[in-house]
Amino acid sequence: MNKKQMKEGIELIDAHFKGEGISRRDAMKLFGTSGAAALLATGATTTPVQASEAKGKIVIVGGGLAGMSTAARFTNSLDNPDITVIEPADMATSYQPGQTLVGAGIWEGSAVDYKTADFVPSGVTLIKEKAVEFDPDKNTVTTASGKKIGYDYLVVAAGLKLDFGKIEGLGITETITTRGDDKAVRKVVGKNGISSIYFANGAIDTWANMQQFVDKAKSGKKVKGIFTHPNTPIKCGGAPKKIMYLTDARLREAGARDNAELMFYPNGSKMFGVSEYHNAIQRQFEARDMKWNYRHNLVAVDTEKKVATFNKHWKQKGAWDEDLEEYGIEMKNEKVEVPFDFLHITPPMKAAEEIGSSPIGSSKGWVPVNKETLQHVKYKNVFALGDIAAVPMGKTGGSARKQYKVVVDNVIAMMEGKSELPSKYAGYTVCPLITSIGTVMLAEFNWTKKPTPSFPLDPTQERWIWWLLKVYALKPMTQYGMLSGRA
Amino acid sequence: MKKLNLILLSVGAVFALTGCNDGPTGEKITYAKSAQEVYDQSCKKCHGANGEGNTEKKAPALNDRQAGELELDLYDVKNGGTNQSSGTDHDIMEHNMKKLIDKGYDYDPKAMALYIEKSFFKMPSPEDTEEETPATEEAPATTETPTTEEANATR
Ligand SMILES: Cc1cc2nc3c(=O)[nH]c(=O)nc-3n(C[C@H](O)[C@H](O)[C@H](O)COP(=O)(O)OP(=O)(O)OC[C@H]3O[C@@H](n4cnc5c(N)ncnc54)[C@H](O)[C@@H]3O)c2cc1C
Ligand code: HEC
Repeated sequence: MNKKQMKEGIELIDAHFKGEGISRRDAMKLFGTSGAAALLATGATTTPVQASEAKGKIVIVGGGLAGMSTAARFTNSLDNPDITVIEPADMATSYQPGQTLVGAGIWEGSAVDYKTADFVPSGVTLIKEKAVEFDPDKNTVTTASGKKIGYDYLVVAAGLKLDFGKIEGLGITETITTRGDDKAVRKVVGKNGISSIYFANGAIDTWANMQQFVDKAKSGKKVKGIFTHPNTPIKCGGAPKKIMYLTDARLREAGARDNAELMFYPNGSKMFGVSEYHNAIQRQFEARDMKWNYRHNLVAVDTEKKVATFNKHWKQKGAWDEDLEEYGIEMKNEKVEVPFDFLHITPPMKAAEEIGSSPIGSSKGWVPVNKETLQHVKYKNVFALGDIAAVPMGKTGGSARKQYKVVVDNVIAMMEGKSELPSKYAGYTVCPLITSIGTVMLAEFNWTKKPTPSFPLDPTQERWIWWLLKVYALKPMTQYGMLSGRA
Repeated sequence: MKKLNLILLSVGAVFALTGCNDGPTGEKITYAKSAQEVYDQSCKKCHGANGEGNTEKKAPALNDRQAGELELDLYDVKNGGTNQSSGTDHDIMEHNMKKLIDKGYDYDPKAMALYIEKSFFKMPSPEDTEEETPATEEAPATTETPTTEEANATR
């Protein structure tokens, strides 16, 4: 690391705390200084001062990042908590954002593994099963073994499913979760250069494939790497690009970048919904000779021949529409075949079938909630958060970190008989966009579609301190701060 | 290494303490027309007098979902999709919306969603829902989430 960057970091931090009216020293004392983990574990900045005496049975479906953090915060906030978490997976509380680093060989696979059992707050009942039936009129949930569980308040935090089956030629018919049983997918995705960091073992296989790809380029062959982004909302919208930046970095490190062509094929026509970040990313792509081709949706893969088929779609001026008093547009599309040596698939994603098509689901599959209070649009004692909630732009751990506090505040207010829901989510999302080994652009934004930086710095710049944040600080913050319901 | 630790701790501390800036929630926008006026003068032509849709225009029904859900769809249409590079299934309506805004038919998504629900919402018929829960009759009256205080305001 270089001295100048170090100095920049320290100065920045000092300036920040000065703005907050405290010195860095005091801030550090506040946290204790015995290592990042301990620091963040004690970073009890938002623990409610007063516990509530309100009563009620709370059932949480899904014990991943959002669900377990919610359980912990309820436990901290209530005098007499009565909380049940329904979660089938052994490793539900693993650190998914780290899979990007695993996929590029920066972390070992085991660095992201965290057992569910180690994060169940004391006093919380864990039912190690899937919830399969929802009867919100009778306030019950039924598990796979047929156990019927009643509730006063239901919190749905069941994340999302990866739907590789939508892509023809892979021979996959099941949907999987990131940390559940992945046999159905791993038999194809992970081989022949076909990769995906979206499931944990897939990230490990991605690194193996990436090394082969780099070696081939190094041996003098001309190679082609392609990276997809589907037509559904996805978790961590930045990850499909991050793995591409990291592939670029690994090729450069090997001195083989000139032999590889790297192309990004997203279904959409933008790099980012926030124009400042969109522009910054396009500039970064250009500087690295990373190419992109918008409006391409991956629909099929020939795993033997290594050819990907995309549905290319575009708009064309249509007929005069008198109801619009303007020319309308027509949609056109055609199939495009692209050969590859390395293919990174970001699969289509959706809510679990048993929830999306239940009474608490919706025609779009996600659980529809008021996007600010996170209360279900139909059932007032049902809330949803995390990846499964039909909230615009969310689906990151960073947005869940804001949402779980909102849900806890609002449920407790209802338990206390208050008529107003006091807490509102404003759409905050953060995407630490890894742009090389050693730099990150910290893209923070909310529904205003403007950058909302936490630091007084140009948010469109790639910086080494954000790399430190991403690679060293965010994991302990998540695993010990958020999952204990504190930060 | 000591210095590195210091930076790490500090960055983490800053982020944990003050990170997740809520940021501004946007300037107040005022709209020239009320949601009802916009619906009657424009949307109606394609989405029907009762939000029932129009097959000839390929415009889907808007009376089959409640305000909370509809607001999300309106948000999506006005913002060109809500995920970084996923795009949208609403290319046509997005184009329409841009033209309609140019012609003065802009609206607040929340107010529009509440107006459409209040005026047209119909529970999907039993064969669509596979469940015949009689309790749903009262739904339209009880479901609207926030009150209309924000009807013509903000975001
Ligand atoms: C490769 C990758 C990179 C990422 N990078 C970042 C990043 O840089 N920054 C960031 O903020 N976020 C990132 N994320 C996203 C982040 O991990 C998720 O947004 C976060 O985990 C969401 O939490 P959740 O609780 O909603 O879902 P999960 O953590 O996925 O938990 C959902 C849980 O629900 C359970 N479940 C499912 N169905 C049922 C059922 N029927 N009954 C009971 N339980 C059920 C599942 O087993 C699962 O454990 C990344 C994700 C991936 C995959
Ligand atoms: C010229 C015809 C036309 C007009 C006028 C029009 N729409 Fe549309 N609308 C469409 C068509 C066609 C679609 C379906 C294709 C698409 O979504 O791109 C659609 C889709 C939508 C959708 C998405 C529905 C879904 O199921 O996801 C919403 C929401 C919507 N319109 C709202 C409105 C509102 C509000 C107005 C008035 C401001 C309006 N539309 C005016 C033609 C029209």
